Amino acid sequence: MRENGYAPIRDYAVIGDGRTAALVAKDGSIDWLCLPNFDSPSVFGRIVDARRGGSFELRPEEPFEADRAYRRDTNVLETTFRTTSGSVRVTDAMLLTGDGLAPMREVARSIEGLAGRVPMCWRVEPRFDFGGKRPRIDRRAGGVFATAGGDALAISSWDAGDPQPSGDAIEGTFVADTGTTALLDLASAHREPVVLPSRADVDRRLEDTSRFWAEWAGRIDYGGPWRDAVVRSALALRLCVFAPSGAVVAAPTTSLPEWIGGARNWDYRFAWLRDAAFTIDALLRLGCRREASAFFWWFMHATRMTMPRLRNLYRVDGRLEATERDLERLDGYMSSRPVRVGNGAAEQVQLDVYGSVLDSIWRYASNGGEIDRATAKEIGEVADCVTELWRGEDSGIWEPRSPPLHYVHSKAMCWVALDRACKLAERGVIADHRKRWEPAAEEIRAFVEEHGYDADRGTYVRAGGRDDLDGALLTLALFDYHDPADPRLHGTIAAIERELSDGPLVYRYRGADGLDGREGYFLACSFWLVDALARTGRSADAKRNMEELLRHANEVGLYAEELAPDGSFLGNFPQALVHLALIGAALCVTDHERGAG
Amino acid sequence: MFWGALAGGLVGTVVLTTSLRLAQETGLTRMDIPLLLGTIFTPDRSRASLVGYAIHFFNGLVFASLYGLVFVAVGSAGWLLGAALGLVHALFAGGALVNVLLPAVHPRMGTRYSDARETPILEPPGFMLRNYGRHTAIVTVVAHVLYGAIVGGFAGGLDLG
Repeated sequence: MRENGYAPIRDYAVIGDGRTAALVAKDGSIDWLCLPNFDSPSVFGRIVDARRGGSFELRPEEPFEADRAYRRDTNVLETTFRTTSGSVRVTDAMLLTGDGLAPMREVARSIEGLAGRVPMCWRVEPRFDFGGKRPRIDRRAGGVFATAGGDALAISSWDAGDPQPSGDAIEGTFVADTGTTALLDLASAHREPVVLPSRADVDRRLEDTSRFWAEWAGRIDYGGPWRDAVVRSALALRLCVFAPSGAVVAAPTTSLPEWIGGARNWDYRFAWLRDAAFTIDALLRLGCRREASAFFWWFMHATRMTMPRLRNLYRVDGRLEATERDLERLDGYMSSRPVRVGNGAAEQVQLDVYGSVLDSIWRYASNGGEIDRATAKEIGEVADCVTELWRGEDSGIWEPRSPPLHYVHSKAMCWVALDRACKLAERGVIADHRKRWEPAAEEIRAFVEEHGYDADRGTYVRAGGRDDLDGALLTLALFDYHDPADPRLHGTIAAIERELSDGPLVYRYRGADGLDGREGYFLACSFWLVDALARTGRSADAKRNMEELLRHANEVGLYAEELAPDGSFLGNFPQALVHLALIGAALCVTDHERGAG
Repeated sequence: MFWGALAGGLVGTVVLTTSLRLAQETGLTRMDIPLLLGTIFTPDRSRASLVGYAIHFFNGLVFASLYGLVFVAVGSAGWLLGAALGLVHALFAGGALVNVLLPAVHPRMGTRYSDARETPILEPPGFMLRNYGRHTAIVTVVAHVLYGAIVGGFAGGLDLG
């Protein structure tokens, strides 16, 4: 199952609590967990270094087969191990706090004997600060503690064997008998004392957590044919929301490679404004108004300091610093070096974010979201800023490390920004400066049509003066840049199918991007193709693509950023943008089918 | 001395509020104290700012009275002692008052403990309010030292006079 200590990315499931998230491998090992927040250093980082990263293993002591699923419509994971001695179900969850005194962050692992007597073992190897700090292990106050600097975690065990310090790890063994339930609890603290829970409290919080997720998922408003995929995507997206601020991380991981052995390894534990329009749209259309409102106010606050200019990405706590550096001590997933923390793309100019943000505001306001005068003034200033900025080159949505270009997608998104500003003004949400914005929007469109369209091939191109394509151009259909019947839109979709796609799977581009090596199919683009096909009247093709793409999810319904030609997952996991694109595509196809019906 | 501190509190709060606003407008910080205080009572941003300014002014006078009590207790006052108290005030505000206590009572603000059950619409400030921009701590300290110096100066001036 593992190769050189690494499980396939496809073998992971995610659990989380709205502040951080853990990846659980199919063999029962928690191989990724940053504490206390998404963007904190990892304490379990085996996924980026099998030797030094640290993990929390829990498995039968004998050969086993495992299958797992989330408890229905929750983010509580159930893994069933089958051995020659019997079977055992492990329930994993990051617990929500609820009422009463609870650990700052908490992972519960409940072990239920289903049949026979299964010998079980577990081992916690905490490696604080991405493996940079060895822990001090000691037993006190009824638990075994691992501490390093201001961080601490305590392992409590009930009927799961006596926790034994073993070098710089904590381990235990026990036998899971039919009908018995054992429990392991990891309680963590950062710059404060660890709270040691009682078994009854952990059991209660585990059930409360499960109930919360089921109730939350039960409120999702989708009645189409892909309910399970949509609900799972919404649950995955919810795990990417940083509850203290409302920010949404692109993924809870860093540096899972876009190609095995390659250097395209990036830190996605930031919130990208690029995703804002998709996020607001998905949340509103699924009926998650509170989450949409929280996200809207997060990005309106986060962007305030640089207004009217927008940055590409922000830290989940609102800070701007995202200095990129390599963690030399880590091997990287399957020797894919470097492992990076921080993201240099923060320094790039990406004009598409203006379209994304203005479109988000438009959707929010159109759905009854209230915008006060001070915010309305800022929105107007952003639109004014776009009337100047669009003329410059930028780095584009894909953040290549090559020199800036006149990316067609970026220009089109500048048009979207001004179009939405005009619509907001028309509705009276913001001051009416359409006299400034409309001419600029027309100028942008003229530029795109003149420099960004290849008349011979009948398609828009990636950038002015180039002839390669860009999967992001599919979003021209999603953002209503053209009427759905427009031949240029149809031509672009057809060209992308012809030149960037293998069936339903789409590469985001094939041209140079300033980096060596290659990458897999880009799953967000693949779902955007579904969306674009549905919007341009090709519902049958859209539905067929959708069905095929859904078969590429892993067994618990999650996706990484990319897919290798052999079907394995590549890139950070689970990726919010893919799940947003899935939700958008499912809603669009369903709506169009109903419209046609 | 006490009444001088109170008068200084009035002037000092105007200066403090203006300097914070200036820092906000020049992009040094996203911190908006009137908004943070006002949104305890209303989600409407404009109304929140109005309420927030009133609370901030009231707080300015309350802190000036506390300064005044210290001046009376030690039997002297002046801009230097006031500035020192302003420094302590800033550290308390950034380290505990706004960082810990405000999120604890604010119905619309996240805390470091907010989990997936919650959907706050105001991000928590963080230690020394640095979530609102890396210069926020400096801005906070400078503004409060200025406030303290004014309160101390007024208190000392009246006493001397």
